[in-house]
Amino acid sequence: MVDAARHPNIELLTYTEVKRVEGFIGNFKVLVEEKPRYVLMDRCNGCGACAPVCPIEVPNEFEEGLAPRKAIYIPHSQAVPLRYVIDIDHCIKCYKCVDACGKLDAIDFSQQPKQRWLDVGSIIVATGFDSFDPSELTEYGYGRYDNVITTLELERINNSAGPTAGQIIRPSDKKFPKKVAFIQCVGSRDERFNLYCSGFCCMYTIKNAVQWKLTYPDADITIFYMDIRTPSKGYEEFYRWAREMGIRFIQGRPALITEDPHTGNLFIQAEDVGLGQLIELESELVVLSTAAVPRADTEQMSSILNISRSPGGFFMEYHPKLRPVDSPTDGVFLAGAAQGPKDIPASVAQGSGAAARAARILNAERWEIEPIVAHVWEDRCISAQGKKCGICATKCPYNAIVVEQGKAAEVMPAKCHGCGGCVAECPHNAITQMHFTDAQILAQLHALLAKEPEKKIIAFMCHWCSYGGADNAGTSHFEYPASSRGIRVMCSARQDQDFVYEAFRLGAGMVLVSGCHPQDCHYITGQRVAAERFERLAKRLAEMGISPQRFRVEWISAAEGAKYAQVIREMDEVLRSFDPQALKEENERVRPELERRLRRLTEIPDVAKALEQVYA
Amino acid sequence: MSNPDTIDPKFKDEVMAELGGEHLLRCYSCGTCVSMCLVSRVSSEFNPRRTMRMVMLGMRDEVFRNPTIWMCSACDLCYPHCPQGIHISELMRAIKNIAVRDGYEAPGPVAVVNEEECSGCDVCEKACPYGALSLVTKVFDGQQRKVSQVNKNLCMTCGICAAACPLSAITVEEYSNEKVAAQIQADGWLTEPAQRLPGEPQLLVFNCSWNLRADVDRAALTRFPPNVRVIVLPCSGRVDPIFILLALKSGVDGVLVAGCQPGQCHYKQGTRIAQGRMRILQQILDQMGLDMSRVRFVQIGTEERGRFPALVMQMLADLKARMEPANITA
Repeated sequence: MVDAARHPNIELLTYTEVKRVEGFIGNFKVLVEEKPRYVLMDRCNGCGACAPVCPIEVPNEFEEGLAPRKAIYIPHSQAVPLRYVIDIDHCIKCYKCVDACGKLDAIDFSQQPKQRWLDVGSIIVATGFDSFDPSELTEYGYGRYDNVITTLELERINNSAGPTAGQIIRPSDKKFPKKVAFIQCVGSRDERFNLYCSGFCCMYTIKNAVQWKLTYPDADITIFYMDIRTPSKGYEEFYRWAREMGIRFIQGRPALITEDPHTGNLFIQAEDVGLGQLIELESELVVLSTAAVPRADTEQMSSILNISRSPGGFFMEYHPKLRPVDSPTDGVFLAGAAQGPKDIPASVAQGSGAAARAARILNAERWEIEPIVAHVWEDRCISAQGKKCGICATKCPYNAIVVEQGKAAEVMPAKCHGCGGCVAECPHNAITQMHFTDAQILAQLHALLAKEPEKKIIAFMCHWCSYGGADNAGTSHFEYPASSRGIRVMCSARQDQDFVYEAFRLGAGMVLVSGCHPQDCHYITGQRVAAERFERLAKRLAEMGISPQRFRVEWISAAEGAKYAQVIREMDEVLRSFDPQALKEENERVRPELERRLRRLTEIPDVAKALEQVYA
Repeated sequence: MSNPDTIDPKFKDEVMAELGGEHLLRCYSCGTCVSMCLVSRVSSEFNPRRTMRMVMLGMRDEVFRNPTIWMCSACDLCYPHCPQGIHISELMRAIKNIAVRDGYEAPGPVAVVNEEECSGCDVCEKACPYGALSLVTKVFDGQQRKVSQVNKNLCMTCGICAAACPLSAITVEEYSNEKVAAQIQADGWLTEPAQRLPGEPQLLVFNCSWNLRADVDRAALTRFPPNVRVIVLPCSGRVDPIFILLALKSGVDGVLVAGCQPGQCHYKQGTRIAQGRMRILQQILDQMGLDMSRVRFVQIGTEERGRFPALVMQMLADLKARMEPANITA
């Protein structure tokens, strides 16, 4: 941090909040708000004369509330920059600090929040994590029993610069606890709170236990765990060493802690799974290894930066294996525990990766993007004719479309990721997607349904999930009937309802539309756009007189080959159960209505021509 | 997995297909359920985690032959603590259902209805937390009559029905009225003046079997002074008001009935039933002109370490403070 502060090319903005982010890769504009410190950065030299005279004491956040701090304070002794700040919510404006500051005259109560725009090429999000509040888990009595503490509190108690100067004492009677128990997975691997494994808690608990045991070899230390997870280099060896030095590891997750009100000692109820027996362990101090949880402002940040979140609530990476440092928005990168719980080496590695990837953009004069972006036919867009529309902009997950009344909608290619949601949603067929044009997809559809259409299942698939699922079915040799015909688009959002109408108009037996599960969508909200659309479509098809079984919507992940095969098998079975003659009659009945709905299709540039080629 | 020939790999699917068994495979043997379980506390052979493991491994015969699968009383103390959200009592019920279909039976003992005495009034059916009692029509001496019948596989022998029956026609063998009375009177506690400490009140305590989790509290049950007599019953719902009236009549100064906290009752609603009964009893005592405070009903949470002994000592002190010749037969 000190190095960063001193670096000529790094400007450190502390006590500053990101308010808005606009623009795109290489050309971001960021609105930041510098909060008032009430201390002048250029005058304060961090001498600390002000704090001792301040009469206000509030719990010190850095010390986990175990020690007080003043209303004028630095967060901790290594703070960078070493400048004081006034906690205005607690300050009583006695101005004693102003007197203490004296000639430096660094205190200025007239400061106001300052907003300014920054021009940046790339953004790295490294906002870290919060610690789970174990008082939610009432069975462990945190907050009710004095001697149940969290690991972070122990870290402070055990720190020579901490509130006890490194003396380990327990809160109830300020005595040294000889018997201590650690409980793992508090708030993690628990479907009531967080399903994920926080990953690093096993190691830091072992570290704390070892540190304790080295200082006090007589200490009686027990660690209750469900599974010990020490997969990184050197970690398992460390765990083995901890076992060898006499730290007791008990497999079994305690369900309840009770307190002896006289001694303040705690009784832990657990099953020793190895023994298969119930045990009651008396302990003088209990330390809870709490889960890492997403920061409280993660949701706000995700909407400011337009990046999505994984099911656990942390920021989502572009690809879990191949692009773990990139966010779904180009030019925005993720580092550290903001992306998911991780330990220090992994955070450093990801931070270095993010810095390198961010620097690539800063050094580039030109930036290549995927060619599959959306394109607006300006003459077809009704916004250009002065009418109010803007549907495309509301459906875009990346805010890549700008609509101004009187002007045609404009797609910013650098922000467009090519999901095609806007193309399918445009009610006037005024947008197309490069390489996935209506003409191309309709030509595929016509070719696939050229012969015996009523015996075919048309399966629209998204590139990332359901197409991967179909691929997985193939490579895993999950058999499914040969009646299915697939059409791949980038996202289920690109699957235009007109394609479904056209498939039925051509006499297709069955139509499947498929995409990712909602939380896996590659294009943030593409699946949701599609899901809404298909819900409406299913009703409309039924109203038209198409048997509801002939249209199916399924969310299939790339790993669900078996599910894909199963869906096709089921659909094939339904198709076979239909009377072919009745099916043909049904198609004839609905054809006029479908033709009426599809009348505009041939107006789309190139569609008529493409279809001619199919039949040539 | 002792013998591969007896392994039924489909067993887990069968349990999971049963209502309540859906989430079986989520269990990763953390032991939370066992550490919360009061049955495991009392009899270490009962281990729901191990049972689930055995089901997963397909040890069908071993699971069904194990008498402990019938011991889960569905108190659901474990369920809210399970990190995987498995409803363990429902899962145990799914196992029991399959066992019943396979022809296995709960080993008992169960409540026994004296059919000659039973009037078919249906009070027991309404009181039973498990729906183990139902009325059936039988022929006695050529006459059709409705009598209560016990479903052996559902009865948990809590004895709530025995206390509820107005004709005392239901008996739970181990805790029959006669045996409870004998326990109260053992060693001449009521009659022998030698048992009475001079100037000290006599206190009779009925405690349920499940409200004490801590070892120290369980040990305390046997360490009270001789003027305190503790009778342990399966449930506070087993306490028949007759016991209390007879004790008061025999000169006991006070009666303390302790059950589980509502929501933690081992037999689902036993503690609530007891609460209602005790309230009515106190009103009756009041109408009789007796001091209501001589009968107390308390509900103890399983994690309230040290509360039970403290309550007993407190009541003893209160009784002593109001020591005056008790006018019981008034």
